[in-house]
Amino acid sequence: MDATYIQESIEQFKTNIFMHVRHRTLLRYVGTPVLNENQLFYLLLPFLNGETWNDQIGESAITVGIVHASLNEHDKINENNATTKEQQLTVLSGDYYSGRYYEILAQVGNIPLIKQLSEGIANRCEHQIKVYESNSYSLDEWYETISVIQTELIKRFYQVYGFEQYSTFLHTDLLLQQLQKEMQHIQDGHYSSIMRKMSDSALADGKSLEQELQNKIDALKDLLDENLRSSILKDELKLYIKQKVAF
Amino acid sequence: MEKMKLKLLYSDLKADIDIIEKELEIALNSSSHLINDASLHLLQAGGKRIRPVFVLISAKFGHYSIEQVKNIAVPLELIHSASLVHDDVIDNSDLRRGRHTVKAQWNNRVAMYTGDFIFARALEYVTSIENKRVHQILAKTMVEICNGEVIQIEDKFRENQNIKDYFRRIKRKTALLIESSCELGAVVSGLDDKNVRHLKQFGYYVGMSYQIVDDILDFTATDKELGKPAGSDLLQGNITLPILLLKDHPTIAKFIELAQKGEVTEEQRKEMLNIVRKSDAIKQAITVSNQYLRKALKEVDALPNHPMKKKLRDIALFIGKRKF
Repeated sequence: MDATYIQESIEQFKTNIFMHVRHRTLLRYVGTPVLNENQLFYLLLPFLNGETWNDQIGESAITVGIVHASLNEHDKINENNATTKEQQLTVLSGDYYSGRYYEILAQVGNIPLIKQLSEGIANRCEHQIKVYESNSYSLDEWYETISVIQTELIKRFYQVYGFEQYSTFLHTDLLLQQLQKEMQHIQDGHYSSIMRKMSDSALADGKSLEQELQNKIDALKDLLDENLRSSILKDELKLYIKQKVAF
Repeated sequence: MEKMKLKLLYSDLKADIDIIEKELEIALNSSSHLINDASLHLLQAGGKRIRPVFVLISAKFGHYSIEQVKNIAVPLELIHSASLVHDDVIDNSDLRRGRHTVKAQWNNRVAMYTGDFIFARALEYVTSIENKRVHQILAKTMVEICNGEVIQIEDKFRENQNIKDYFRRIKRKTALLIESSCELGAVVSGLDDKNVRHLKQFGYYVGMSYQIVDDILDFTATDKELGKPAGSDLLQGNITLPILLLKDHPTIAKFIELAQKGEVTEEQRKEMLNIVRKSDAIKQAITVSNQYLRKALKEVDALPNHPMKKKLRDIALFIGKRKF
Protein backbone atom coordinates (compact mmCIF):
# COMPACT_ATOMS: atom_id res chain seq x y z
CA MET A 1 0.00 0.00 0.00
CA ASP A 2 1.28 3.47 -0.91
CA ALA A 3 -0.17 6.96 -1.37
CA THR A 4 -1.39 6.05 -4.87
CA TYR A 5 -3.33 3.04 -3.55
CA ILE A 6 -4.88 5.18 -0.80
CA GLN A 7 -5.82 7.88 -3.30
CA GLU A 8 -7.34 5.31 -5.65
CA SER A 9 -9.34 3.81 -2.79
CA ILE A 10 -10.71 7.26 -1.98
CA GLU A 11 -11.58 7.87 -5.65
CA GLN A 12 -13.38 4.52 -5.88
CA PHE A 13 -15.23 5.28 -2.67
CA LYS A 14 -16.28 8.65 -4.05
CA THR A 15 -17.57 7.00 -7.23
CA ASN A 16 -19.61 4.56 -5.13
CA ILE A 17 -21.17 7.47 -3.24
CA PHE A 18 -22.05 9.23 -6.52
CA MET A 19 -23.68 6.05 -7.87
CA HIS A 20 -25.95 5.81 -4.81
CA VAL A 21 -27.31 9.35 -5.18
CA ARG A 22 -27.37 9.69 -8.95
CA HIS A 23 -30.31 11.84 -10.05
CA ARG A 24 -30.65 13.08 -13.63
CA THR A 25 -32.08 16.53 -12.91
CA LEU A 26 -29.92 17.25 -9.88
CA LEU A 27 -26.82 16.20 -11.78
CA ARG A 28 -27.74 18.54 -14.61
CA TYR A 29 -28.37 21.63 -12.49
CA VAL A 30 -26.36 21.09 -9.32
CA GLY A 31 -23.57 18.76 -10.45
CA THR A 32 -21.97 15.91 -8.55
CA PRO A 33 -22.07 15.97 -4.73
CA VAL A 34 -19.39 17.95 -2.92
CA LEU A 35 -17.21 15.66 -0.81
CA ASN A 36 -14.21 16.33 1.38
CA GLU A 37 -11.47 13.80 0.61
CA ASN A 38 -9.98 14.14 4.08
CA GLN A 39 -13.27 12.98 5.58
CA LEU A 40 -13.50 10.15 3.05
CA PHE A 41 -10.00 9.03 4.03
CA TYR A 42 -11.09 8.75 7.67
CA LEU A 43 -14.18 6.78 6.71
CA LEU A 44 -11.89 4.30 4.95
CA LEU A 45 -9.09 4.38 7.54
CA PRO A 46 -10.15 1.25 9.51
CA PHE A 47 -10.38 -0.68 6.20
CA LEU A 48 -7.01 0.63 5.00
CA ASN A 49 -5.48 -0.32 8.34
CA GLY A 50 -6.70 -3.90 7.96
CA GLU A 51 -9.71 -3.94 10.30
CA THR A 52 -12.44 -6.50 9.66
CA TRP A 53 -14.51 -4.97 6.89
CA ASN A 54 -17.53 -6.42 5.09
CA ASP A 55 -20.20 -5.28 2.63
CA GLN A 56 -22.43 -3.97 5.38
CA ILE A 57 -19.67 -1.79 6.86
CA GLY A 58 -18.69 -0.65 3.37
CA GLU A 59 -22.26 0.36 2.56
CA SER A 60 -22.58 2.08 5.94
CA ALA A 61 -19.44 4.12 5.17
CA ILE A 62 -21.07 5.13 1.86
CA THR A 63 -24.16 6.39 3.70
CA VAL A 64 -21.99 8.53 5.99
CA GLY A 65 -20.43 10.01 2.85
CA ILE A 66 -23.95 10.68 1.54
CA VAL A 67 -24.90 12.52 4.74
CA HIS A 68 -21.80 14.70 4.34
CA ALA A 69 -22.81 15.39 0.74
CA SER A 70 -26.31 16.33 1.90
CA LEU A 71 -25.13 18.82 4.52
CA ASN A 72 -22.48 20.23 2.16
CA GLU A 73 -25.22 21.08 -0.36
CA HIS A 74 -27.06 23.12 2.24
CA ASP A 75 -23.84 24.99 3.09
CA LYS A 76 -23.96 26.26 -0.50
CA ILE A 77 -27.26 28.10 -0.01
CA ASN A 78 -26.97 31.86 -0.21
CA GLU A 79 -27.97 33.51 3.05
CA ASN A 80 -30.28 36.07 1.48
CA ASN A 81 -31.18 35.00 -2.01
CA ALA A 82 -31.80 31.45 -3.13
CA THR A 83 -34.24 32.21 -5.93
CA THR A 84 -32.30 30.83 -8.89
CA LYS A 85 -33.26 27.40 -10.22
CA GLU A 86 -29.78 26.15 -9.32
CA GLN A 87 -30.11 27.27 -5.68
CA GLN A 88 -33.64 25.86 -5.41
CA LEU A 89 -32.41 22.51 -6.67
CA THR A 90 -29.40 22.70 -4.35
CA VAL A 91 -31.82 22.81 -1.40
CA LEU A 92 -33.56 19.76 -2.82
CA SER A 93 -30.36 17.88 -3.60
CA GLY A 94 -29.43 18.09 0.08
CA ASP A 95 -32.88 16.80 1.04
CA TYR A 96 -32.72 14.09 -1.61
CA TYR A 97 -29.33 12.83 -0.41
CA SER A 98 -30.66 12.86 3.13
CA GLY A 99 -33.63 10.73 2.07
CA ARG A 100 -31.30 8.36 0.19
CA TYR A 101 -29.03 7.67 3.15
CA TYR A 102 -32.09 6.80 5.21
CA GLU A 103 -33.53 4.66 2.41
CA ILE A 104 -30.29 2.65 2.02
CA LEU A 105 -29.99 2.00 5.76
CA ALA A 106 -33.73 1.24 6.09
CA GLN A 107 -33.44 -1.34 3.32
CA VAL A 108 -31.08 -3.43 5.45
CA GLY A 109 -32.68 -2.46 8.77
CA ASN A 110 -29.53 -0.77 10.09
CA ILE A 111 -31.43 1.14 12.77
CA PRO A 112 -28.43 1.64 15.13
CA LEU A 113 -26.60 3.61 12.44
CA ILE A 114 -29.74 5.60 11.50
CA LYS A 115 -30.02 6.58 15.17
CA GLN A 116 -26.35 7.52 15.51
CA LEU A 117 -26.29 9.53 12.30
CA SER A 118 -29.51 11.40 13.04
CA GLU A 119 -28.19 12.33 16.49
CA GLY A 120 -24.93 13.37 14.86
CA ILE A 121 -26.67 15.53 12.23
CA ALA A 122 -28.73 17.29 14.90
CA ASN A 123 -25.58 18.00 16.94
CA ARG A 124 -23.73 19.24 13.85
CA CYS A 125 -26.62 21.58 12.94
CA GLU A 126 -26.59 23.01 16.46
CA HIS A 127 -22.93 23.89 15.97
CA GLN A 128 -23.29 25.15 12.41
CA ILE A 129 -26.02 27.58 13.39
CA LYS A 130 -23.81 29.15 16.08
CA VAL A 131 -22.38 31.66 13.62
CA TYR A 132 -25.86 33.21 13.38
CA GLU A 133 -26.36 33.45 17.14
CA SER A 134 -25.82 36.68 19.04
CA ASN A 135 -23.94 34.87 21.84
CA SER A 136 -20.20 35.31 22.01
CA TYR A 137 -18.10 32.18 22.29
CA SER A 138 -14.46 31.66 23.26
CA LEU A 139 -11.89 30.53 20.70
CA ASP A 140 -11.83 27.09 22.34
CA GLU A 141 -15.58 26.80 21.87
CA TRP A 142 -15.16 27.69 18.21
CA TYR A 143 -12.44 25.02 17.82
CA GLU A 144 -14.90 22.54 19.29
CA THR A 145 -17.52 23.68 16.76
CA ILE A 146 -15.16 23.21 13.81
CA SER A 147 -14.19 19.81 15.16
CA VAL A 148 -17.84 18.71 15.49
CA ILE A 149 -18.65 19.91 11.96
CA GLN A 150 -15.68 17.99 10.55
CA THR A 151 -15.77 14.80 12.59
CA GLU A 152 -19.13 14.16 14.25
CA LEU A 153 -20.63 11.82 11.67
CA ILE A 154 -17.45 9.78 11.21
CA LYS A 155 -17.17 9.49 14.99
CA ARG A 156 -20.72 8.05 15.08
CA PHE A 157 -19.78 5.53 12.37
CA TYR A 158 -16.73 4.49 14.42
CA GLN A 159 -18.95 4.04 17.48
CA VAL A 160 -21.37 1.70 15.72
CA TYR A 161 -18.61 -0.54 14.34
CA GLY A 162 -16.16 -0.45 17.26
CA PHE A 163 -13.50 1.67 15.52
CA GLU A 164 -13.24 4.25 18.34
CA GLN A 165 -9.45 3.81 18.50
CA TYR A 166 -9.25 5.94 15.33
CA SER A 167 -11.13 8.88 16.87
CA THR A 168 -7.97 10.49 18.25
CA PHE A 169 -6.39 10.91 14.80
CA LEU A 170 -9.72 11.90 13.34
CA HIS A 171 -10.20 14.81 15.75
CA THR A 172 -6.67 16.12 15.69
CA ASP A 173 -6.06 15.73 11.98
CA LEU A 174 -9.36 17.04 10.59
CA LEU A 175 -9.34 20.05 12.92
CA LEU A 176 -5.73 20.73 11.96
CA GLN A 177 -6.42 20.47 8.22
CA GLN A 178 -9.48 22.71 8.45
CA LEU A 179 -7.58 25.36 10.41
CA GLN A 180 -4.75 25.23 7.87
CA LYS A 181 -7.30 25.77 5.10
CA GLU A 182 -8.92 28.69 6.94
CA MET A 183 -5.50 30.20 7.63
CA GLN A 184 -4.69 30.07 3.93
CA HIS A 185 -8.01 31.80 3.10
CA ILE A 186 -7.33 34.50 5.68
CA GLN A 187 -3.89 35.11 4.21
CA ASP A 188 -5.61 35.45 0.82
CA GLY A 189 -7.93 38.02 2.37
CA HIS A 190 -11.06 35.85 2.68
CA TYR A 191 -12.75 35.25 6.01
CA SER A 192 -15.40 32.53 6.29
CA SER A 193 -18.41 33.24 8.57
CA ILE A 194 -16.90 31.19 11.36
CA MET A 195 -13.52 32.93 11.07
CA ARG A 196 -15.24 36.32 11.26
CA LYS A 197 -16.87 35.25 14.51
CA MET A 198 -13.56 33.85 15.78
CA SER A 199 -11.85 37.09 14.88
CA ASP A 200 -14.40 38.95 17.05
CA SER A 201 -13.70 36.53 19.92
CA ALA A 202 -9.93 37.00 19.56
CA LEU A 203 -10.24 40.79 19.40
CA ALA A 204 -12.45 40.84 22.50
CA ASP A 205 -9.55 39.14 24.34
CA GLY A 206 -7.05 41.57 22.81
CA LYS A 207 -5.53 38.81 20.64
CA SER A 208 -4.82 38.43 16.94
CA LEU A 209 -6.76 35.62 15.26
CA GLU A 210 -3.91 34.76 12.89
CA GLN A 211 -1.47 34.39 15.78
CA GLU A 212 -3.96 32.31 17.77
CA LEU A 213 -4.62 30.08 14.77
CA GLN A 214 -0.92 29.60 14.18
CA ASN A 215 -0.40 28.62 17.82
CA LYS A 216 -3.28 26.16 17.61
CA ILE A 217 -2.00 24.69 14.34
CA ASP A 218 1.46 24.18 15.86
CA ALA A 219 0.00 22.56 18.97
CA LEU A 220 -2.19 20.25 16.88
CA LYS A 221 0.79 19.26 14.71
CA ASP A 222 2.75 18.32 17.83
CA LEU A 223 -0.18 16.36 19.18
CA LEU A 224 -0.75 14.54 15.90
CA ASP A 225 2.95 13.70 15.65
CA GLU A 226 2.89 12.28 19.17
CA ASN A 227 -0.30 10.30 18.46
CA LEU A 228 1.11 8.88 15.27
CA ARG A 229 4.36 7.78 16.93
CA SER A 230 2.52 5.67 19.47
CA SER A 231 -0.24 4.54 17.12
CA ILE A 232 -1.45 1.24 15.72
CA LEU A 233 -1.52 2.64 12.18
CA LYS A 234 0.43 1.09 9.32
CA ASP A 235 3.53 3.07 8.39
CA GLU A 236 2.14 3.96 4.94
CA LEU A 237 -0.93 5.49 6.57
CA LYS A 238 1.20 7.47 9.04
CA LEU A 239 3.22 8.80 6.12
CA TYR A 240 0.06 9.68 4.16
CA ILE A 241 -1.35 11.64 7.11
CA LYS A 242 1.95 13.45 7.68
CA GLN A 243 2.18 14.43 4.01
CA LYS A 244 -1.35 15.81 4.08
CA VAL A 245 -0.63 18.23 6.91
CA ALA A 246 2.87 19.05 5.60
CA PHE A 247 5.01 18.41 8.67
CA MET B 1 -62.50 29.10 12.41
CA GLU B 2 -61.92 26.27 9.92
CA LYS B 3 -59.10 24.90 12.06
CA MET B 4 -61.41 24.97 15.08
CA LYS B 5 -64.08 23.06 13.18
CA LEU B 6 -61.55 20.43 12.26
CA LYS B 7 -60.35 20.19 15.84
CA LEU B 8 -63.94 19.69 16.95
CA LEU B 9 -64.17 16.74 14.56
CA TYR B 10 -61.40 14.95 16.39
CA SER B 11 -62.11 16.28 19.86
CA ASP B 12 -62.37 12.76 21.31
CA LEU B 13 -58.72 12.25 20.31
CA LYS B 14 -57.71 15.43 22.12
CA ALA B 15 -55.88 13.71 24.99
CA ASP B 16 -53.66 11.82 22.54
CA ILE B 17 -53.16 14.84 20.30
CA ASP B 18 -52.03 16.79 23.36
CA ILE B 19 -49.46 14.05 23.99
CA ILE B 20 -48.26 14.45 20.40
CA GLU B 21 -48.01 18.25 20.84
CA LYS B 22 -45.95 17.80 23.98
CA GLU B 23 -43.70 15.26 22.26
CA LEU B 24 -43.18 17.63 19.32
CA GLU B 25 -41.90 20.23 21.76
CA ILE B 26 -39.61 17.72 23.45
CA ALA B 27 -38.30 16.42 20.12
CA LEU B 28 -37.38 19.93 19.01
CA ASN B 29 -35.66 20.92 22.23
CA SER B 30 -32.14 21.98 21.36
CA SER B 31 -28.98 23.21 23.05
CA SER B 32 -29.00 26.05 20.49
CA HIS B 33 -31.25 28.93 21.51
CA LEU B 34 -31.55 29.94 17.85
CA ILE B 35 -32.85 26.51 16.83
CA ASN B 36 -35.18 26.60 19.84
CA ASP B 37 -36.51 30.01 18.78
CA ALA B 38 -36.95 28.92 15.16
CA SER B 39 -38.62 25.64 16.13
CA LEU B 40 -40.90 27.30 18.63
CA HIS B 41 -41.79 29.83 15.96
CA LEU B 42 -42.88 26.91 13.78
CA LEU B 43 -44.80 25.05 16.48
CA GLN B 44 -46.64 28.21 17.49
CA ALA B 45 -47.73 28.71 13.89
CA GLY B 46 -49.75 25.58 14.54
CA GLY B 47 -51.17 23.80 11.55
CA LYS B 48 -53.96 21.32 11.29
CA ARG B 49 -51.85 18.35 12.45
CA ILE B 50 -53.80 16.22 10.00
CA ARG B 51 -50.93 13.78 9.51
CA PRO B 52 -50.72 12.79 13.20
CA VAL B 53 -54.52 12.65 13.32
CA PHE B 54 -54.59 10.19 10.41
CA VAL B 55 -51.91 8.11 12.14
CA LEU B 56 -53.98 7.96 15.34
CA ILE B 57 -57.27 7.15 13.61
CA SER B 58 -55.71 4.47 11.39
CA ALA B 59 -54.01 2.90 14.39
CA LYS B 60 -57.37 2.68 16.17
CA PHE B 61 -58.32 -0.09 13.71
CA GLY B 62 -55.54 -2.26 15.16
CA HIS B 63 -54.05 -2.76 18.63
CA TYR B 64 -53.91 0.86 19.67
CA SER B 65 -51.33 2.17 22.12
CA ILE B 66 -50.49 5.87 22.12
CA GLU B 67 -47.01 5.06 23.45
CA GLN B 68 -46.37 3.04 20.29
CA VAL B 69 -48.30 5.22 17.84
CA LYS B 70 -46.68 8.50 18.89
CA ASN B 71 -43.38 7.08 17.63
CA ILE B 72 -44.63 7.46 14.09
CA ALA B 73 -47.11 10.35 14.49
CA VAL B 74 -44.44 12.73 15.85
CA PRO B 75 -41.81 12.05 13.14
CA LEU B 76 -44.38 12.44 10.35
CA GLU B 77 -45.37 15.88 11.62
CA LEU B 78 -41.70 16.80 12.06
CA ILE B 79 -40.89 15.74 8.49
CA HIS B 80 -43.81 17.82 7.24
CA SER B 81 -42.63 20.86 9.26
CA ALA B 82 -39.00 20.50 8.13
CA SER B 83 -40.02 20.34 4.50
CA LEU B 84 -42.08 23.52 4.92
CA VAL B 85 -39.03 25.35 6.31
CA HIS B 86 -36.99 24.32 3.26
CA ASP B 87 -39.91 24.99 0.86
CA ASP B 88 -40.05 28.58 2.08
CA VAL B 89 -36.41 29.01 1.03
CA ILE B 90 -37.18 27.50 -2.38
CA ASP B 91 -40.31 29.63 -2.86
CA ASN B 92 -38.70 32.72 -1.30
CA SER B 93 -41.79 32.97 0.93
CA ASP B 94 -41.77 35.51 3.72
CA LEU B 95 -45.17 34.57 5.10
CA ARG B 96 -46.82 31.29 6.02
CA ARG B 97 -50.17 31.14 7.79
CA GLY B 98 -49.84 34.89 8.30
CA ARG B 99 -46.55 34.59 10.20
CA HIS B 100 -43.00 35.30 9.14
CA THR B 101 -41.22 32.23 7.88
CA VAL B 102 -37.93 31.08 9.44
CA LYS B 103 -36.02 32.31 6.39
CA ALA B 104 -37.70 35.74 6.62
CA GLN B 105 -37.26 36.04 10.38
CA TRP B 106 -33.58 35.01 10.22
CA ASN B 107 -32.06 33.98 6.86
CA ASN B 108 -31.88 31.12 4.35
CA ARG B 109 -28.97 29.39 6.06
CA VAL B 110 -30.72 29.41 9.43
CA ALA B 111 -33.73 27.89 7.67
CA MET B 112 -31.54 25.20 6.09
CA TYR B 113 -29.93 24.21 9.39
CA THR B 114 -33.25 24.37 11.25
CA GLY B 115 -34.87 22.14 8.63
CA ASP B 116 -31.97 19.69 8.72
CA PHE B 117 -32.13 19.65 12.51
CA ILE B 118 -35.87 18.87 12.45
CA PHE B 119 -35.41 16.12 9.82
CA ALA B 120 -32.67 14.60 11.98
CA ARG B 121 -34.81 14.73 15.11
CA ALA B 122 -37.65 13.05 13.19
CA LEU B 123 -35.41 10.13 12.24
CA GLU B 124 -33.89 9.95 15.71
CA TYR B 125 -37.41 9.73 17.14
CA VAL B 126 -38.57 7.03 14.75
CA THR B 127 -35.60 4.76 15.56
CA SER B 128 -37.48 3.72 18.67
CA ILE B 129 -39.44 1.54 16.22
CA GLU B 130 -37.47 -1.51 15.20
CA ASN B 131 -39.83 -2.72 12.48
CA LYS B 132 -37.82 -2.51 9.23
CA ARG B 133 -40.99 -2.11 7.16
CA VAL B 134 -41.86 1.16 8.93
CA HIS B 135 -38.47 2.64 8.04
CA GLN B 136 -38.69 1.45 4.46
CA ILE B 137 -42.10 3.07 3.96
CA LEU B 138 -41.01 6.32 5.59
CA ALA B 139 -37.69 6.51 3.73
CA LYS B 140 -39.33 5.85 0.37
CA THR B 141 -41.88 8.55 1.14
CA MET B 142 -39.15 11.09 1.95
CA VAL B 143 -37.29 10.36 -1.29
CA GLU B 144 -40.45 10.50 -3.37
CA ILE B 145 -41.59 13.79 -1.83
CA CYS B 146 -38.24 15.22 -2.81
CA ASN B 147 -38.55 13.87 -6.33
CA GLY B 148 -41.97 15.53 -6.50
CA GLU B 149 -40.45 18.86 -5.52
CA VAL B 150 -37.73 18.51 -8.13
CA ILE B 151 -40.42 17.87 -10.76
CA GLN B 152 -42.37 20.88 -9.49
CA ILE B 153 -39.36 23.11 -10.09
CA GLU B 154 -38.78 21.59 -13.51
CA ASP B 155 -42.46 22.19 -14.36
CA LYS B 156 -42.52 25.83 -13.26
CA PHE B 157 -43.97 28.00 -16.03
CA ARG B 158 -43.74 24.99 -18.40
CA GLU B 159 -46.34 25.54 -21.09
CA ASN B 160 -46.78 22.01 -22.43
CA GLN B 161 -47.85 20.34 -19.21
CA ASN B 162 -51.13 18.51 -18.78
CA ILE B 163 -53.44 17.35 -16.02
CA LYS B 164 -51.60 14.03 -15.76
CA ASP B 165 -48.38 15.92 -14.95
CA TYR B 166 -50.29 17.84 -12.30
CA PHE B 167 -51.67 14.67 -10.67
CA ARG B 168 -48.23 13.08 -10.65
CA ARG B 169 -46.84 16.18 -8.97
CA ILE B 170 -49.48 16.54 -6.25
CA LYS B 171 -49.34 12.82 -5.53
CA ARG B 172 -45.73 13.21 -4.47
CA LYS B 173 -46.04 16.70 -3.03
CA THR B 174 -48.96 16.01 -0.68
CA ALA B 175 -50.83 12.75 -1.11
CA LEU B 176 -47.85 10.51 -0.32
CA LEU B 177 -47.28 11.82 3.19
CA ILE B 178 -50.98 11.51 4.07
CA GLU B 179 -51.05 8.04 2.47
CA SER B 180 -48.00 7.06 4.55
CA SER B 181 -49.56 8.52 7.71
CA CYS B 182 -52.56 6.21 7.32
CA GLU B 183 -50.44 3.23 6.26
CA LEU B 184 -47.89 3.62 9.06
CA GLY B 185 -50.55 4.14 11.74
CA ALA B 186 -52.10 0.87 10.59
CA VAL B 187 -48.76 -0.97 10.37
CA VAL B 188 -47.53 0.00 13.84
CA SER B 189 -50.81 -1.12 15.38
CA GLY B 190 -50.46 -4.53 13.74
CA LEU B 191 -53.41 -4.33 11.36
CA ASP B 192 -53.68 -7.04 8.67
CA ASP B 193 -52.35 -6.30 5.17
CA LYS B 194 -55.75 -6.04 3.51
CA ASN B 195 -56.94 -3.28 5.83
CA VAL B 196 -53.53 -1.56 5.79
CA ARG B 197 -54.06 -1.31 2.02
CA HIS B 198 -57.55 0.19 2.41
CA LEU B 199 -56.25 2.83 4.84
CA LYS B 200 -53.26 3.56 2.64
CA GLN B 201 -55.51 4.06 -0.41
CA PHE B 202 -57.86 6.19 1.67
CA GLY B 203 -54.91 8.41 2.61
CA TYR B 204 -53.84 8.71 -1.01
CA TYR B 205 -57.30 9.76 -2.24
CA VAL B 206 -57.84 12.20 0.63
CA GLY B 207 -54.37 13.63 0.03
CA MET B 208 -55.13 14.23 -3.64
CA SER B 209 -58.42 15.92 -2.76
CA TYR B 210 -56.69 17.96 -0.05
CA GLN B 211 -54.12 19.37 -2.47
CA ILE B 212 -56.69 20.09 -5.18
CA VAL B 213 -58.76 22.04 -2.63
CA ASP B 214 -55.59 23.82 -1.51
CA ASP B 215 -54.90 24.81 -5.11
CA ILE B 216 -58.48 26.03 -5.55
CA LEU B 217 -58.31 28.06 -2.34
CA ASP B 218 -55.15 29.77 -3.56
CA PHE B 219 -57.48 31.56 -6.03
CA THR B 220 -60.78 31.73 -4.16
CA ALA B 221 -59.74 32.61 -0.59
CA THR B 222 -58.78 36.12 0.46
CA ASP B 223 -55.21 37.27 1.16
CA LYS B 224 -56.12 37.47 4.83
CA GLU B 225 -57.54 33.96 4.96
CA LEU B 226 -54.48 32.57 3.18
CA GLY B 227 -51.95 34.60 5.15
CA LYS B 228 -50.27 35.43 1.80
CA PRO B 229 -51.39 37.04 -1.47
CA ALA B 230 -54.03 35.01 -3.30
CA GLY B 231 -52.71 33.63 -6.58
CA SER B 232 -49.21 33.16 -5.14
CA ASP B 233 -48.92 29.68 -6.69
CA LEU B 234 -49.31 31.03 -10.20
CA LEU B 235 -47.07 34.02 -9.49
CA GLN B 236 -44.37 31.49 -8.62
CA GLY B 237 -44.98 29.51 -11.78
CA ASN B 238 -46.87 26.59 -10.26
CA ILE B 239 -49.51 25.68 -12.81
CA THR B 240 -52.28 24.07 -10.76
CA LEU B 241 -55.56 22.42 -11.77
CA PRO B 242 -57.74 25.57 -12.11
CA ILE B 243 -55.14 27.10 -14.44
CA LEU B 244 -54.67 23.90 -16.45
CA LEU B 245 -58.44 23.95 -17.00
CA LEU B 246 -58.19 27.57 -18.17
CA LYS B 247 -54.94 27.31 -20.06
CA ASP B 248 -56.28 28.61 -23.36
CA HIS B 249 -57.75 31.77 -21.88
CA PRO B 250 -55.77 34.62 -23.53
CA THR B 251 -55.52 36.78 -20.39
CA ILE B 252 -54.31 33.84 -18.30
CA ALA B 253 -51.70 32.89 -20.91
CA LYS B 254 -50.49 36.51 -20.95
CA PHE B 255 -50.46 36.58 -17.14
CA ILE B 256 -48.23 33.48 -17.01
CA GLU B 257 -45.79 35.18 -19.38
CA LEU B 258 -45.70 38.30 -17.18
CA ALA B 259 -45.32 36.21 -14.00
CA GLN B 260 -42.33 34.44 -15.50
CA LYS B 261 -40.71 37.82 -16.14
CA GLY B 262 -41.69 38.98 -12.64
CA GLU B 263 -43.64 41.89 -14.12
CA VAL B 264 -47.11 41.35 -12.63
CA THR B 265 -48.79 44.45 -11.19
CA GLU B 266 -51.30 44.33 -8.33
CA GLU B 267 -54.05 45.28 -10.77
CA GLN B 268 -53.15 42.40 -13.10
CA ARG B 269 -53.11 39.96 -10.16
CA LYS B 270 -56.64 41.05 -9.20
CA GLU B 271 -57.80 40.75 -12.81
CA MET B 272 -56.40 37.23 -13.01
CA LEU B 273 -58.14 36.29 -9.74
CA ASN B 274 -61.44 37.66 -11.08
CA ILE B 275 -61.18 35.61 -14.25
CA VAL B 276 -60.38 32.39 -12.39
CA ARG B 277 -63.06 32.93 -9.75
CA LYS B 278 -65.78 33.61 -12.34
CA SER B 279 -64.78 30.76 -14.62
CA ASP B 280 -66.02 27.18 -14.70
CA ALA B 281 -62.51 26.00 -13.84
CA ILE B 282 -63.18 26.24 -10.11
CA LYS B 283 -66.35 24.16 -10.39
CA GLN B 284 -64.58 21.60 -12.54
CA ALA B 285 -61.67 21.38 -10.10
CA ILE B 286 -64.13 20.88 -7.22
CA THR B 287 -65.71 18.04 -9.21
CA VAL B 288 -62.32 16.37 -9.60
CA SER B 289 -61.64 16.78 -5.88
CA ASN B 290 -65.03 15.24 -5.09
CA GLN B 291 -64.24 12.26 -7.31
CA TYR B 292 -61.17 11.58 -5.18
CA LEU B 293 -63.25 12.00 -2.03
CA ARG B 294 -65.78 9.45 -3.26
CA LYS B 295 -62.96 6.98 -3.86
CA ALA B 296 -61.66 7.68 -0.36
CA LEU B 297 -65.08 7.00 1.14
CA LYS B 298 -65.30 3.71 -0.78
CA GLU B 299 -62.08 2.62 0.93
CA VAL B 300 -63.64 3.48 4.29
CA ASP B 301 -66.66 1.34 3.42
CA ALA B 302 -64.35 -1.63 2.86
CA LEU B 303 -62.92 -1.38 6.39
CA PRO B 304 -64.29 -3.52 9.23
CA ASN B 305 -67.00 -1.98 11.42
CA HIS B 306 -65.46 0.43 13.86
CA PRO B 307 -66.51 3.76 15.42
CA MET B 308 -63.51 5.38 13.69
CA LYS B 309 -65.05 4.79 10.26
CA LYS B 310 -67.40 7.71 10.82
CA LYS B 311 -64.48 9.88 11.91
CA LEU B 312 -62.54 9.07 8.75
CA ARG B 313 -65.58 9.97 6.64
CA ASP B 314 -66.20 13.23 8.53
CA ILE B 315 -62.60 14.39 8.28
CA ALA B 316 -62.38 13.45 4.60
CA LEU B 317 -65.55 15.38 3.86
CA PHE B 318 -64.35 18.35 5.90
CA ILE B 319 -61.08 18.41 3.98
CA GLY B 320 -62.94 18.35 0.69
CA LYS B 321 -65.30 21.15 1.66
CA ARG B 322 -63.03 23.41 3.68
CA LYS B 323 -63.08 27.11 2.93
CA PHE B 324 -59.42 27.88 3.67
